[in-house]
Amino acid sequence: MSYVDQAQSSYRNVTRYIPESLRVYLPILPVMALVGLFILYPIAQAIYSSFFTKSLLRPSEAEFVGLANYVEIWTDPDIHQVLWNTFVWVTVGSLAAIVLGFLMGWLLNEKLPYTSVASAIVLIPWVLPRVVGASIWQFMFGGSQGIVNELLVQLGVIDEYIVMLGATEYSLWPPIIGMIWRLAPLFALLTLTSLQGIDEHLYEAARMDGATPWEQFRYITIPMMKYNLAIGFLLMLIYNVRNFSMVWVMTKGGPGVSSSTLPVMIYRAAFIDFEVGFASALSVLLFVVLLVFSYYYIKFYDKVRGEM
Amino acid sequence: MATDNSDPTAEYRRNQSWLYDSKTGGYVRKTAIGLLTLVIGVFVLFPLYWMVATAFKTTAEIQQIPPTVFPENPSFEGFRLVIESSIQAGGYAGLVNDLLGITVTSAIDINLLALIVNSLKVAVGAGLIAVILGTGASYVLSRREFRGKNLLMSLLLASLMFPGTAIMVPEWELISTLGLFNTHLALILIYGAMTAPFVVWLMKGFFDDFPDSIIEASQIDQCTPFETFWYVLVPMARNSLIASFIFAFLLAWNELVFALTLLDNSKFTVPPGLLTFVQGFNTQWNVVAAASIIVSIPVLAGLAYIQRYFVQGLTGGAIKG
Repeated sequence: MSYVDQAQSSYRNVTRYIPESLRVYLPILPVMALVGLFILYPIAQAIYSSFFTKSLLRPSEAEFVGLANYVEIWTDPDIHQVLWNTFVWVTVGSLAAIVLGFLMGWLLNEKLPYTSVASAIVLIPWVLPRVVGASIWQFMFGGSQGIVNELLVQLGVIDEYIVMLGATEYSLWPPIIGMIWRLAPLFALLTLTSLQGIDEHLYEAARMDGATPWEQFRYITIPMMKYNLAIGFLLMLIYNVRNFSMVWVMTKGGPGVSSSTLPVMIYRAAFIDFEVGFASALSVLLFVVLLVFSYYYIKFYDKVRGEM
Repeated sequence: MATDNSDPTAEYRRNQSWLYDSKTGGYVRKTAIGLLTLVIGVFVLFPLYWMVATAFKTTAEIQQIPPTVFPENPSFEGFRLVIESSIQAGGYAGLVNDLLGITVTSAIDINLLALIVNSLKVAVGAGLIAVILGTGASYVLSRREFRGKNLLMSLLLASLMFPGTAIMVPEWELISTLGLFNTHLALILIYGAMTAPFVVWLMKGFFDDFPDSIIEASQIDQCTPFETFWYVLVPMARNSLIASFIFAFLLAWNELVFALTLLDNSKFTVPPGLLTFVQGFNTQWNVVAAASIIVSIPVLAGLAYIQRYFVQGLTGGAIKG
C-alpha cells in the first residue's frame, strides 16, 4: 500500500464520524486556522487593547480606560501633521504612481522591442527587498554626497547642496518619490496585462466605423479596463496607507514628525514609547481606513470575475 | 449633411488623425514616445544603476563631492568588506586562517551570512507551509460548491490587505502570549498565514481551468480522490506550485515590519539586519550597496520565473494575462 493509499485510508478513519456535508471544510480548515490566528485574531486583539492603558514593559498591569486612548489621539499634538502626511501619501503618492504606471504600461504595450524583458526589468523596483530600495533612495537624497543634490545644482534649481532628509520643509517628499518608484511598476504591469487582454477585433471594428485613436481609447480601452484600473488604484491606496519601510529607512519619520505617517506613529508609540493601548487605538484607526479600501477592492474584484 | 454631399471625402478626412496618419505626425508621435520612454526609463533604472555603481566604488570615491557618475577605479572593496565582516562576525576567521592562511580582520560590523541563513530558514519554512496548506484548500474551493464558500474566499482576500503595520502591535502581543517571541517559528507561521491566501487564489485559478475530463478519466481508472489529487493534479500543477512557493518565499525574504518587531538582533533576518547597518553610525554606502546586490540575487532569480504569474497572484486571478 502506497503512502497515498495510507493517507486516503487514515483520512477515512478520521472522518468516519464527521457528517458528509461538513467534510468539504476539512482541507480549508488549516488555512483558515492559520489566517484566523495570525491575521484576523490580532485585529480583534487590537480593538480590545485599545480600551486599556498597557505598557510594553509591563503588559500584565493593564488598566481599563474606556475611550481614553481615542481621546488621546484626538488631542495628540502630532496627530494633525501625521494624518495630513498620510493623506498626502495616499492621494499624491497613489495618483502619481497611477499616472506614471499607466504610461509605463501603455509604452510597454506599444510594441517596444523585447516587451517581456522590458516588463521584467521594470518590475525590479517592486520586487527588490523594501529596505534595499529605500536605502538606495536614502543614499541618493543624502545631504553631503547625494546625487539628487548634484543633479539639482547642475540643472540650476538650487545653488548649493541642501539637507533634504533632515529638513522639516522637505523631508515628506523623498520617501513619497521612492514609493512612486516602487509602486508605478506594479500598476504598469496591471495596465499592460489589461491592455493585452482587450480583443483586437474591437479596435478593428471601431476603425471600420471611423473611430479616431482618441475615440478608440475613450470608448474601448477605458471601459474595458475600468474595473482592472479600479483594482490597481485600490492596491496603490492600500500599499501607500500601510507603508512603513520607505519612511522608516529614509527619515525615521523625522525630523520631529515632519515625515511621519500613521504606521510610523504606531511603531513609535508601541516600540519606542511602549504605549501599547495608545498604539492599538491608532491601529484601529488604520484598520478602518484599510477596511473601507478592502471593501471596494473586493467589490471591484467580484465585478471583474463576474464578467469573465 | 450638405457639406458631406459636397465633399464625399469630408467624413473620411474628419476621422483621420494627424498624429497617426500624416508623415510628420508619425515622426512627432514617435519622438514623443521615445522621449517619454527615456524619461521614465531613467527614473526606473537610474536608482538600480546607482546601487551597482556605488557597490563598485572605493570607500574614498563614495566620499567624493560631487559624486562620480561612473566608478573611477572599479573595485570589489565593498563586496570584500561584506565577506570579511561575515567571516569574522560568524567566527570563521580562525578556520579561514588555518585553511587558506589568510588573516581576516574587519572594521565594519555586518554579518550578512548569518542574516541570509536566517532569512532562508524563514522563507523556505513559510513557503512550504503556504503551498502545502493553500493547495489543498484551493482544490476544494475550486471543485466543490458548499455553504459559506464566497464568505471564506472574501475573508481570505481581505486578509491580504491587513498584514504589516496595521497589526504589528497586536501581533507582538499574540506572539509574546504564545511564547514565540524572538523565534524564527513565529515568523514562519505569520509569513505562512500572509501568503497562504495568495496561494489559494493562484492555485484556484489553475484548478478552475483544469479540464474535467482528465479527472473523470482518472475516476474511471478507479483512482481514489487522494490518488487523483496526488498522481494526476499535483504533477500537472507543478509550474503553478513552484510559482506559489516563490511568491511566498519572496514575501518572507523582503518583509521588514514583523522581522523588526518580533526578533532581537541575534536572530535578525536580512531586512532588519540591513536596516540596522544602514542606520548605524557612519554608514559605508559601498558596503550597503554590495550587501544589497547580494541579497537581491534570489529576488531577481525568482522574478524571472514568476513574471508570468505575477498579475494573477497579486489580484487573486481577477486579471489574467
